[in-house]
Amino acid sequence: MNAPLTTGKPLCISGLTKTYETRTGESMEALGPISVDVAAGEFLVVVGPSGCGKSTLLQILAGFLKPTDGTVSVNGEIITGPSIDRSMIFQSYALFPWLSVLDNVRFGLRRKTIPREQQRSIALQYLRLVGLQDFADKNIDELSGGMKQRVAIARAFAVNPSILLMDEPFGALDALTRRFLQRELLRIWQEQQRTVVFITHSVNEAIFLADRILVMSSRPGRIRAEWRLNSPRPRDLNSDQHRRLEAEIFSLLDEEVTKTFSWAT
Amino acid sequence: MNIASAKNSAPGPGRTSHRRWPANAVRALPFCYAAIVIVLVWQIVVDITKPDPSILPPPIDVAWTFGHLAGDGELAVHAGYSVARVITAWLLSGIIAIPLGLLMGSSQHFERIVNPFVELLRPISPLAWIPMAILWFGIGESGKVFVVFIGTFFPILLSTVAGAKGVDPVLLHAGQVFGCTNRLTLFRRVVVPAALPSIVVGLRVAFGTGWAAIIAAELVAAHSGLGYLIANGMDILRADQVLVGMIAIGVLGFLFDTFFRYLQAHYGRTAR
Repeated sequence: MNAPLTTGKPLCISGLTKTYETRTGESMEALGPISVDVAAGEFLVVVGPSGCGKSTLLQILAGFLKPTDGTVSVNGEIITGPSIDRSMIFQSYALFPWLSVLDNVRFGLRRKTIPREQQRSIALQYLRLVGLQDFADKNIDELSGGMKQRVAIARAFAVNPSILLMDEPFGALDALTRRFLQRELLRIWQEQQRTVVFITHSVNEAIFLADRILVMSSRPGRIRAEWRLNSPRPRDLNSDQHRRLEAEIFSLLDEEVTKTFSWAT
Repeated sequence: MNIASAKNSAPGPGRTSHRRWPANAVRALPFCYAAIVIVLVWQIVVDITKPDPSILPPPIDVAWTFGHLAGDGELAVHAGYSVARVITAWLLSGIIAIPLGLLMGSSQHFERIVNPFVELLRPISPLAWIPMAILWFGIGESGKVFVVFIGTFFPILLSTVAGAKGVDPVLLHAGQVFGCTNRLTLFRRVVVPAALPSIVVGLRVAFGTGWAAIIAAELVAAHSGLGYLIANGMDILRADQVLVGMIAIGVLGFLFDTFFRYLQAHYGRTAR
């Protein structure tokens, strides 16, 4: 295991592994070893076949799971548990249905030492950023899925985190809403200059959003390949360059998926 | 490719709310219809079989007795006793069962210690406790409150436990990520509000079982309450008085349940 480097990097993953004990007492390697550094303001997208451990990786980054080995450090400090400094956008929105739209966005701000009036104005500012300022007093059940995810985006950005973790945030949405929110997310990210770790199984989504794409192998999940994307946004997914990249990523993923299936039988 | 296309799925910002009163009236209709049918069938049975009034009096006689008992305030006094006993016991149950249930639902250790007691005591019907209640507390108020307490305690406890256990794990994660770093804050800010709708259901169900238990307790050992009114009617061969008591029990039980449904619909989701 490498000694953790105290770089100023917002996110530094080194030698991370996760092993689960199965019920029969055998140990099963789910993840790693993985080492990745993420630069400030970088939009990192992790793509992988299902069951490759990409969600496990995000759970460790969030602090919900402890790694078996290796460390995750944020701004040079090794993480030990969940923190408001690493906010998250969930696939199932995870909004609090007993709170209004505004109070959902305010939830994290209330845990920080921010004066009350300021909490409200910050929350409203972020609701405006996602275009929902007129819905501040609505109940969560009154919103569509796309609107709920926009509230979740506002909530995650509002707490001023070092890193934003996104666990297939658009996976439950219809194709049109998904396209819309991808653009919205890019706009907000460019405005707010945040570091993002985004997990998806959609190659198109990865190419549309990422500064850098990591492709994970099948279990135990490791980093199989890495691409840096410099093409300007908004990206045309039908350009030759992006089509070629898509084909490359797909052929890698196909290989990995095949491995999973031959391994299972 | 147009940004506006995604907005089509969104509901409009405003919703009309001018339909409240007619909706309530419409909702009451099936119950009026059922009441009318019951009275009609009753009248027809009386007309055909011509029973002795001490066994089945005609509806109109019962209506007279109802008016008489209601007019001199006797009915209200008995109903008041029953309601007061149920509310006392039900509040007492809530005060104990809700915190206990929340603790059981959020701590596996605690649940493992307490749950065996719950599972052993729960199958004993509150009615089975009536003789012990009389032996321990005599015929006074505390014995009846005790019986209703038994009847209301478990429904509240069980649905509180279920509510606290059933909190969506992703909401707990969201709570942690957004600053509830210690268990107490997470409990207060996420577990309790998330469990609240389930607690309200438990309170409502418990009020129903409590209302059934008090009548039984008053049948056996009381000098007041709707259960006593019925038992007394039977003793003096006044079927009309028994039926008045039964109608009062039904109407009050129905009104309480309607009230709780209303609370559930309006406050079950939006509490702090």
